[in-house]
Amino acid sequence: MHVPLSWLHEYVDFDLTAEELVELFSLRSQEVDGLERLGVMSGEVVVGEVIEFGPHPNADRLSVAKVDLGGQQVQIVAGALNPYPGARVPVILPGSTLADGRKLKKTKLRGLESYGMMLSERELGISNDHERILLLDGPYEVGHPLKDYFPIGETVLEIDVMPNRPDLWGMIGIARELAAILKTTFRIPEPTYETGGSPTGDYDLRVGAEDLCPRYDLRRVSGIQPGGRAPLFIRRRIYASGMRSINAIVDATNCVMLETGQPIHAFDATRVRDSIVVRRAYPGEEMTLLDGQTRVLDEEMLVIADEERGLVVAGVMGAEEAEVGEQTTDVLIEVATFAGRNILETSQRLGLRTDASGRFERDLDPNMVSYAMDRVTGLIAEISGGRSASDTLSHYPDPARPWQVPLRLERTELLLGMTVEASEAAQRLELLGCEVQREDGKLSTTVPTFRRDLRREADLIEEVGRLIGLENVPERLPGVPLPGGMTREQRKLRRLRYLLAGLGFVETMTYPFGPARWNEGLDVQRTLKLRNPLSAEASNLRTSLLPGLLDTAARNRSFGVRGGAFFEVGRVFEPREQPLELRDAALRYRLLGDTSRGDSDGDAAADLLIGVAEFQKVTGLYAGTVRASVWNAPALTAGFFEVKGLVERLVPSATFEPRPWTFLHPGRSAAVLLRGAEVGWVGELHPETAQMFGLEGWPVCAFEVDFAAVEPDPTPHFALFYNVPAVSMDLAILVDEEVRVGDMLDTVAQLRSSILAEARVFDVYVGSQVPPGRKSVALNFTFQAEETLTDVEVKEEIARISGRLREAFGAEVRGG
Amino acid sequence: MTEIEHILRLFAEVERRQNPLEEAQKALNGLEEAQRAQDPLKTTQRALGTLEDAQRNNPLEEAQRTLEALEKAQGVQNPLEAARRALKSLEEVNRLVEDAWASIESAQTLAELEQLRIEYLGRSAALTEMKKSIRELPVELRPQIGGAANRASRSIEAILEARGAELTAVEREERLRAEAVDVTLPGTPYPKGSLHPSQRVIDELVDFFVGLGYRVAEGPEVETDYYNFTALSIPPGHPARGMQDTFFLDEGLVLRTHTSPVQVRTMLSQEPPVYIVCPGRVYRRDSDPTHTPMFNQVEGLAVDRGLTMGHLKGTLTAMARHVFGEAVRLRLRPSYFQFTEPSVEMDVSCFVCDGEDPNCKVCKGAGWLEMGGAGMVDPAVFEEVGYDPEEYTGFAFGMGPDRMAMVKYDIPDLRLFFEGDLRFLRQF
Repeated sequence: MHVPLSWLHEYVDFDLTAEELVELFSLRSQEVDGLERLGVMSGEVVVGEVIEFGPHPNADRLSVAKVDLGGQQVQIVAGALNPYPGARVPVILPGSTLADGRKLKKTKLRGLESYGMMLSERELGISNDHERILLLDGPYEVGHPLKDYFPIGETVLEIDVMPNRPDLWGMIGIARELAAILKTTFRIPEPTYETGGSPTGDYDLRVGAEDLCPRYDLRRVSGIQPGGRAPLFIRRRIYASGMRSINAIVDATNCVMLETGQPIHAFDATRVRDSIVVRRAYPGEEMTLLDGQTRVLDEEMLVIADEERGLVVAGVMGAEEAEVGEQTTDVLIEVATFAGRNILETSQRLGLRTDASGRFERDLDPNMVSYAMDRVTGLIAEISGGRSASDTLSHYPDPARPWQVPLRLERTELLLGMTVEASEAAQRLELLGCEVQREDGKLSTTVPTFRRDLRREADLIEEVGRLIGLENVPERLPGVPLPGGMTREQRKLRRLRYLLAGLGFVETMTYPFGPARWNEGLDVQRTLKLRNPLSAEASNLRTSLLPGLLDTAARNRSFGVRGGAFFEVGRVFEPREQPLELRDAALRYRLLGDTSRGDSDGDAAADLLIGVAEFQKVTGLYAGTVRASVWNAPALTAGFFEVKGLVERLVPSATFEPRPWTFLHPGRSAAVLLRGAEVGWVGELHPETAQMFGLEGWPVCAFEVDFAAVEPDPTPHFALFYNVPAVSMDLAILVDEEVRVGDMLDTVAQLRSSILAEARVFDVYVGSQVPPGRKSVALNFTFQAEETLTDVEVKEEIARISGRLREAFGAEVRGG
Repeated sequence: MTEIEHILRLFAEVERRQNPLEEAQKALNGLEEAQRAQDPLKTTQRALGTLEDAQRNNPLEEAQRTLEALEKAQGVQNPLEAARRALKSLEEVNRLVEDAWASIESAQTLAELEQLRIEYLGRSAALTEMKKSIRELPVELRPQIGGAANRASRSIEAILEARGAELTAVEREERLRAEAVDVTLPGTPYPKGSLHPSQRVIDELVDFFVGLGYRVAEGPEVETDYYNFTALSIPPGHPARGMQDTFFLDEGLVLRTHTSPVQVRTMLSQEPPVYIVCPGRVYRRDSDPTHTPMFNQVEGLAVDRGLTMGHLKGTLTAMARHVFGEAVRLRLRPSYFQFTEPSVEMDVSCFVCDGEDPNCKVCKGAGWLEMGGAGMVDPAVFEEVGYDPEEYTGFAFGMGPDRMAMVKYDIPDLRLFFEGDLRFLRQF
């Protein structure tokens, strides 16, 4: 809502700078987005009379005027051509400043002196017209300051009106609000007009869709002078309020809308056939609206029509058919209220939001209609010389009446946390337009119909609190009577993130929706889709965090980065097949929160009804050169075992099974198992996948595990140890290349040696030193027991181990 | 070396007597006799006693007697010769020690010092030889000579050690000088990852509220229409739904537009008192320089008997000070939310300029930073979840940790948060 301060001053007295007003309004009422300044900021503008006007001798596009400023003649060079001798013009004097920052000086233009400047409407903040000099038409006296006639500068407050306050979409509401803040009074214009025009009753009014139209009033004003332009004071109000001046009648309706918040429509009465009909649109009904576009309407949209055709999409925009124009002398004025939600939906479906629809969609006060009707009648009569009909057609079957809301003082003090005097609360509410009766400890409040947001006690408490000032609320801390804290899983998440960051990973947060490539790349069949994605490229909900991280790596690559280590902890989403018989129950759950199955079977599980399974995943990615080589350390590049080692660190009891994933290298990927159950995967990216994600040529290794399986900081358990020396023994074993070292280690573990403390693989060799098809695996064993071990004991155990390996894998012991 | 002097004197006395050879011969005979007497030990002891007496009385006579005793006790052929040798040895010891001191003092390297150790204390050193030959000396002389030799050894060892320590220190100094590195070369790189800036702020906020006794509540990101809107007094068709630019999935499912449904779920699952903080990702269909379709929220909810807006204000002030420093102030402005009444916006005074700098980069001269919305829980919400609004009151608040991170870390563009640019993320 744009609030020109000169206008506000007419309704309420206040002595505040614009900045003070912004602050006060922000702290007591609505947020103020900013201040806009128009016209002349400082200095003087006087009425001048053009004595001579002709072309500039040295410039084709310039003119020169001799202007009488009342006892002083000056020469002014101008860019416009419209002044003529005898015309009265606004002349800004040197030393003045315009809102756009220009400061006027005596100057020379193409060799001729120019004293001040003749002003256009834009420079005076009247309209956007900058082609011509404003020619003053009326009782303007030469030499007089122009500000004696109308304000030459304007400051406009841009108020961000909250959706529950449609009353503030009009200047009167703003004035009432400011008066309540300042504890003062405000005044509104008293409408006056003469009747005697052609009767409204020549037309019929039929309201066929009462549910969408609580009130519809129609009044005829005739005998209007045609082709009129609105007077300057109206045009500058409209311009300052951010609208465009159209013609006298439309400007009058808009001006009253800005004043009352009530949109008004005027029809050219001569173009209305017999009746005004308020009805739902016919299916497929077309209407060409004032923006020149033809729109197809549907049955849920309300139209204002005559007997033959639609004239207006109600509350949104008019059609060309019955619009007032240059020739209009006879108008039907519509002042109505419509069902807000319907207007909102119509405006959304048509993609058309107007000053009117924005107001109607908030549900306007039907009782504002009468004042607005009188006001606009008076204004049209005043500026265009029309006469009102003495009759008004009105459809208002169910008049809105004020309602009562009790307000308890102790409740007020409880919610606000400060002491509130009953008299103070009563006065504030009265200033807002309520009637208040005090009964012991209680205020019986009658709320006016323009404050539909004040329905309950809490609503009144808010009003009292904000008007007293929230800065008066004292600060307290509650004594929380519960043990708080994070759950084990929440602490685990924290540790996990800090651990991964400590291990060199960069925490990322990627969007959970992406292109089809995300699923194709991962060979995922079914995903959840957004119905209204920002772009088709971002409609698939992720089933893995990998694609987002791959895109991230590729984007960094395009920035010239040589590689990186990324991780993310986040949700993935999978559709959950819903039994057909649960469809209805699911919808009830989703829309109403109802978990009953709808039959006698009791409640269904909420996660089944929601139809979506969410899982928390931890995903890490090594791409390219993770760390560049330095003078004393080699480069770290993505490799299977680097990433596997991380998984081993995060899931200490994990086991690994080779498993071919379509998006991973078939020979360098494994399922991560925890106690036999699959909890994730680890592997090198398949070159084809790498290519699909723009990472071709880079080594890329990744893992993804269920957050539930991760154990970054396992609970420790004490194990007894002995203060006797441990014995270390190496064993080099030749096996076929296909033999898996992991199986060998498992076999050793299955021996359950009572003295084997640790088995470590310290070398794996394939090459000229061993026969073809064989590999040498070098193992180190550490033995430890309660008593010092003898050579014999250790040798026996090593023999048992190597014997078992020979048996199981055809291993040949090379030395030890 | 008083012992040596003493023995020297004794020998001098002995020598002054006329016929030493004879005397010696006699002594020898005596010794042989004694040996024959099968009790050399007692004889020796007696001789020793005599020697001690002699020392006390007349040295000359005593010496004589001693010599006699010696000659009796010892079976050596020529005790005098042995005595002379011993005498010579003692002198030699003196000389050796002096010698050793001089050479050791002038040794310049540890190797040289080792050579000297071998020379003076080694297997074939004079002192060692002498110690070996002590066995050949008359028993009575052995302690003195032996003691002298041992003291000499110790003395030489001590000076060796002292000099050794000096030389070790010097040589270590030299070695360390040679080992010097260019300390300006970079150190071995350790992995340095980073935490997302929004998560840093979320962690800080969560820590703060956990410290107050709150719990952390979480909920699904794909949410139902009911929990995301209706239960929060935003029924179908309500204009506030339009304001939230919702992403829709299947019918009745949305990507949650705020973490408020977590509050509803919590209230539906437990009785008051409730003190929870709900961090999480939320989604709105909005993308421009200041809006991203995903962003983070931290909401909080407190429901208890007697909670007031004063408690809300005190809590938020303490929170702001935790995140932005003790000097900041909190300001509440009226606002409008469907699920709170009264509703407020919270501003925090600029932690950089405190409103003093009209060109402040952080607050753009406004002096205040918008932190989020809050309010007293609307009675309609309590009714929806089955709490009695007459018995309980509560407050709720919501903040944008992304925007808080922007002001805290001076980040100019929200979009950077979710683009995964390493040049950005590595800074945190």
